[in-house]
Amino acid sequence: MRSFRQHPLPVLGLVAAAAAVLLAGVHQWTAGPIAEQAEQRAHATLTQLLAEGSYDNDPIHDRFPAWIAGLEPPSTIHRARRAGEPIALLADVTTTEGYSGPIRLLIALRPDGEVIGVRVLEHRETPGLGDRIESDRSDWIRQFEGRALGDPPAGDWRPDRRGGAFDTLSSATITSAAVIDAIGRVLAWQRANRERIFEIPASQE
Amino acid sequence: MNATTRTLWRDGLWTNNPGLVQLLGLCPLLAVTGTAINGLGLGLATLAVLAASNVLVSLLRHQVAAELRIPVFVLIIATLVTVVDRILAAFFYDLWTTLGIFIPLIVTNCTLLARAEAFASRRPVIDALHDGLAQGLGFLLVLVVLGSLRELIGQGSLLAGADQLFGPAAAGLTLQLFPEQHGLLLAILPPGAFIGLGLLVALRQHLHTRRPAPRSAPSTEPAGTSAPGPETA
Repeated sequence: MRSFRQHPLPVLGLVAAAAAVLLAGVHQWTAGPIAEQAEQRAHATLTQLLAEGSYDNDPIHDRFPAWIAGLEPPSTIHRARRAGEPIALLADVTTTEGYSGPIRLLIALRPDGEVIGVRVLEHRETPGLGDRIESDRSDWIRQFEGRALGDPPAGDWRPDRRGGAFDTLSSATITSAAVIDAIGRVLAWQRANRERIFEIPASQE
Repeated sequence: MNATTRTLWRDGLWTNNPGLVQLLGLCPLLAVTGTAINGLGLGLATLAVLAASNVLVSLLRHQVAAELRIPVFVLIIATLVTVVDRILAAFFYDLWTTLGIFIPLIVTNCTLLARAEAFASRRPVIDALHDGLAQGLGFLLVLVVLGSLRELIGQGSLLAGADQLFGPAAAGLTLQLFPEQHGLLLAILPPGAFIGLGLLVALRQHLHTRRPAPRSAPSTEPAGTSAPGPETA
């Protein structure tokens, strides 16, 4: 009888099959916890912007995709409601205007277009300079709270370094401009679609 | 610990350290060492994969024909990395998000294939296990030392983000030695990684050449494999 070594293909097949079985098992074991973690993370970000109890629906799943001019398509719009009444919309958007790589933002607006708050979800801006857009590194991102399109006017949604109305992070003008521009674009989109935003049915998984 | 085992550990940690002598796995080494905790996280993941892949490769060494070695080794390494990636995502979600693409990229860490091919496929399981642990620990130590240096110089802290690895209770482990804004930004940026690694390599070289050569048996490496070679991935 010839040894295993002379039958290379069955050996490769066996190793591949063993690998597949192992991976299937690990997937079974970890898929639940991973989904749970992702959900918890999404929920934690959400509650940074919306007070717990101010809504009674599930904003994470009450969402639909949107195409907003100048932002990476598609953006995801989440909606918070209480007793069916609109409370807030949360736009999960990505801008590619940053200094190094895409910046993903979560922008919360009241139904009338006032900014509740903005948080940076992901970015690769320069540590020490551009990363001050993160809420736990500086208060810069909080300057948008309570502002709206018209306060200041649309043309002034730019960093002050470029003649706009908002504070610029020093040595991070491009990063600042990208974030301010993205918020302005979401506000413009919200104004144009404000009648429909809470009517569109939530997308199914 | 017999003489072979001792030599294996000395090789992995010092004489033939994967990070400082073989200069393998530089991509993750330079990319994730912004903080000590990131280095420790990736180091532990690499250590686990390296030890397990060495053992499996050694177990299969009589079954796998020569022409099939590389595909089988790659399959084993890729499977183990996927397992580690899923486990990290499930139980260390924050750290997993921080390390990002560098966990799947452990597959391309040349240290793994180099140890499988040059060592584990020719040696008994117990030696392969010791080799995997020693080389993995050697790599981990370089990651942690470089991460600590860059974190300390760049943002004045040590062990920032310890809670990502050890749970919320460990958040208190973080030491802020001086205010973050007084840090030297260069240390955090990619050039800081290269400069830091260069200094570590030089320091090790200095200590190594100053020390008298050990009296025990010569390195267990087959000829040629311990020479630093160019990075291939």
